[in-house]
Amino acid sequence: MLEISDLKVSYGGDEILAGIDLDLFRGDSIAIIGESGAGKTTLGLALMGLVDGRVSGRVLLDGVDIAALDDRERRKIRGKDMAMVFQNVEDALDPLMTVSDQIGEAIFVHQDRGDPRGVGDRVLRLLGSVGLEEVKGRSYPHQLSGGEKQRALIAMALANDPQVLILDEPTASLDAVTKAEITKLLLERMKGKVALVITHDLSAAARLTERMAVLYAGRIVEIGETCDLLENPRHPYTRGLIRSSPNMTTTKDLQGIPGRMVHGVCGCPFSERCTQRIDICDKVVPPLAEVGDRSIACHRGGIVPLLELSKIRTKFGKFVAVDGVDLTLYEGETIALVGESGSGKTTLAKTVIGLFSHQEGEIRLEGVPLARRDRGFYRKVQMIYQNPKESISHRMDVFDAVSEPLAVQKAGGSAERIATVKRVLEEVELSSDDDFLAKYPHQISGGEAQRVAIARALVLNPKLLIADEPTSALDASVQAKILRLLLNLQEKRGLAILFITHDIALARKVSDRMAVMLDGKIVEEGLTSVVTTSPVHPYTMRLLEVAPDLAPARVARGARETGPAGGGPWNISELLPLRAREL
Amino acid sequence: MEDLHKSTLESQEVGWDGGRVVAAAKAFFRRSAFLSNYLIAFLLILVLNFTLPRLMPGDPFQAIYGEEALLAMTPQLKAQLVERLALDQSMGQQFLAYILALAGGDLGHSYYYNQPVLSVILDFLPWTLLLTGSALVLSTLLGLFLGIESGFRRGRHLDKTLLASLMFLNGFPDFFMGIVLLLIFGVVWGLIPLSGALTPYSGLVGLPLAIDILHHLIAPLAALVLVRVTSAYLLTRNTMITTLKENFILAARAKGCSEGKIKYRHAGRNSLLPVVTATGLSIPQMITGALFVEIVFSYPGVGLLLYNSLLTRDYPLIQGILLMVTVVVLAANLLVDLLYSRLDPRVSHAR
Repeated sequence: MLEISDLKVSYGGDEILAGIDLDLFRGDSIAIIGESGAGKTTLGLALMGLVDGRVSGRVLLDGVDIAALDDRERRKIRGKDMAMVFQNVEDALDPLMTVSDQIGEAIFVHQDRGDPRGVGDRVLRLLGSVGLEEVKGRSYPHQLSGGEKQRALIAMALANDPQVLILDEPTASLDAVTKAEITKLLLERMKGKVALVITHDLSAAARLTERMAVLYAGRIVEIGETCDLLENPRHPYTRGLIRSSPNMTTTKDLQGIPGRMVHGVCGCPFSERCTQRIDICDKVVPPLAEVGDRSIACHRGGIVPLLELSKIRTKFGKFVAVDGVDLTLYEGETIALVGESGSGKTTLAKTVIGLFSHQEGEIRLEGVPLARRDRGFYRKVQMIYQNPKESISHRMDVFDAVSEPLAVQKAGGSAERIATVKRVLEEVELSSDDDFLAKYPHQISGGEAQRVAIARALVLNPKLLIADEPTSALDASVQAKILRLLLNLQEKRGLAILFITHDIALARKVSDRMAVMLDGKIVEEGLTSVVTTSPVHPYTMRLLEVAPDLAPARVARGARETGPAGGGPWNISELLPLRAREL
Repeated sequence: MEDLHKSTLESQEVGWDGGRVVAAAKAFFRRSAFLSNYLIAFLLILVLNFTLPRLMPGDPFQAIYGEEALLAMTPQLKAQLVERLALDQSMGQQFLAYILALAGGDLGHSYYYNQPVLSVILDFLPWTLLLTGSALVLSTLLGLFLGIESGFRRGRHLDKTLLASLMFLNGFPDFFMGIVLLLIFGVVWGLIPLSGALTPYSGLVGLPLAIDILHHLIAPLAALVLVRVTSAYLLTRNTMITTLKENFILAARAKGCSEGKIKYRHAGRNSLLPVVTATGLSIPQMITGALFVEIVFSYPGVGLLLYNSLLTRDYPLIQGILLMVTVVVLAANLLVDLLYSRLDPRVSHAR
């Protein structure tokens, strides 16, 4: 019903929309998300025919190209077939007119012959339909609350029962409760129309729409079903957006997207900020290509799988330590491998890095089956260990330890190596002066030693970091800093991390996905938020029950009665087997 | 838990009802406070008018009537006047006498016209009211219209031309504009009468009289309007430009409103408010302007009267005129304030 093809808008020389293609049918609801400046509002205004800039492309509404119409014809469509609710409710209503008059005006301007009584009746019904009392209609905008103004604006947009409804940040600047009410109202009123919801608020988008398009620098970079797209973003930008928006679902710490948006670059607009860019990204704009039920504009087909394990089996004699593990780790992602000691986590990690060899199965790195681990492999994959002081030779000072991988890889001359080492040490927030470079492991603290180990792992700029209990030997405060450091490095470099820990509470804060290992098998795998809130496997439940928790002290004092019924980890009998293999 | 919730809801309702009473009372007080501002201002003017001649050194009698009048006065008249002004009594009683006289419409006696001051002023006031009133209304309306059109077409041809020419006109003092108009249209082309407000002893009535009055009015009116229109125009144009950037203009466009509706109903109405305020503030200047213009055109208004009374040192008349003018300015401001709350619902709500 609404067909947008190659819609471009430019102000002066700046191209704000660089070719938008969208097909929408009656009953469709689509969210347009993206950072401010991505061109979301411009898209809405361009559809309405209200942009000042130069517009090209076609907007077919029921087969008629409305972008080509003159202003008089366009005006007849505006507010009648296509209506828009504006963001910033504070000044979107004329302060000198009553709400009813303003709603009535929207009907009146589209009537050939005036029918004041008919308009009055319709306004009353509209007020009712958005949940406003009649007295509110007689009020002036300054007498209404933000939520009421938003309702009035919605009534105004619905005045002529438009086929296309454009909502620009419909719930921004409202408090949470009002937001929920408005969301409910919108969901009802959007039925049977084409609805475009322009927002940077992912949760609002998730509630309001079925499909979602991610806009970046005037281009759509990803389109898909809303739930699917939010759960499983495929474009690096989409993932960045989700990671940086606070919500009650994500458990991982917030991470931003490095850099800032630039318009009018010649290649992929996101390439400057992308951690997985390749040469072509800077030169050619990737087309929006369909992949399954998703469309992605990325030369690499979205976020690339960095490490794929299929049916890995590692045996020690007759003992099967890792028993047919399938796991995929994507670029810039953290997978937490949790489980108790002896479940095969570390064996799996060491199998990947090549310290143990697997008997069955296949490891693929960046899509290529791993035949043997040459120097190239270790440029891409590095590991840090549980005990930092032991993992650094006590005969090596900091400089020797950190520069050793460079020496192994025969990378750079000695001056270059010193520079690299210093840069990496600064990156892990350590001092890079000569005094520190000459220190030996026993002269530095545990936290510093772990940073040195991380620096050593990062000096080759790997894509994958295997971290085996990297913080279990450290104080909680040092641990927090090290974890923050790892997350920052991930944000900046797109580092993929295979995080091995027995601490599910820790894993919850650092990982995107979680794999629970038991007896060499992965018994449960999924989004961390899902695994930690609605676990399926009894062993996962058990791990969650025994996970560190600050509430039990309160529980002991009897606060449980007012807490959520049942469910809490504390009402499971302490007699239950602690070790999972007794289950 | 639920009960608690309910009870808070109920008490809120009660509180809201009580709140309405309080709000109504507050509104009443605010309204009376607003009117009392004007009352206080009026009283201050009276006090000032009363005290100024009495504060001058020497005989208050001399200050009120002037030296020449005193010399020409017979002792009987002098005694009569002393009694009337209660000058032989205490200050309080003098003030009382003054107020009582004012209440009776007694502004004193003009010895030059040999008439009560009030009746002299009332002879001249209508012409001034006609001239300044129509100049005020016309310059504001014209300024609004031109400002709205100009602001709506910002940066285009019409806007630039209007801006330049009105700024040019604004540079002249109004009496100069009057002289120019009088010379060109009156002296050179003979299109307008050279003086007066109507043709004396013509015996015209009805429409011909109205046309005659208009014929006499047009040149002084034009002089005032041409100079005064610029401030209303500039203000309207500027507000228009800011108003047009507001979100509700975009929302009106999105409704499908025509350009005309957006220009006048939405942007124009919202740009009106500051202009109304400015018009109220410009009334005193308008009256001073009218004073000079009336002299140039020998237009029989209060300005001319004031000029003549200054020449003849008719002090009671001067005082009467000044009091009258201040009262008119005050009344005009009150009118603007009342109009403002009609125009902007937010103001009446705040009040």
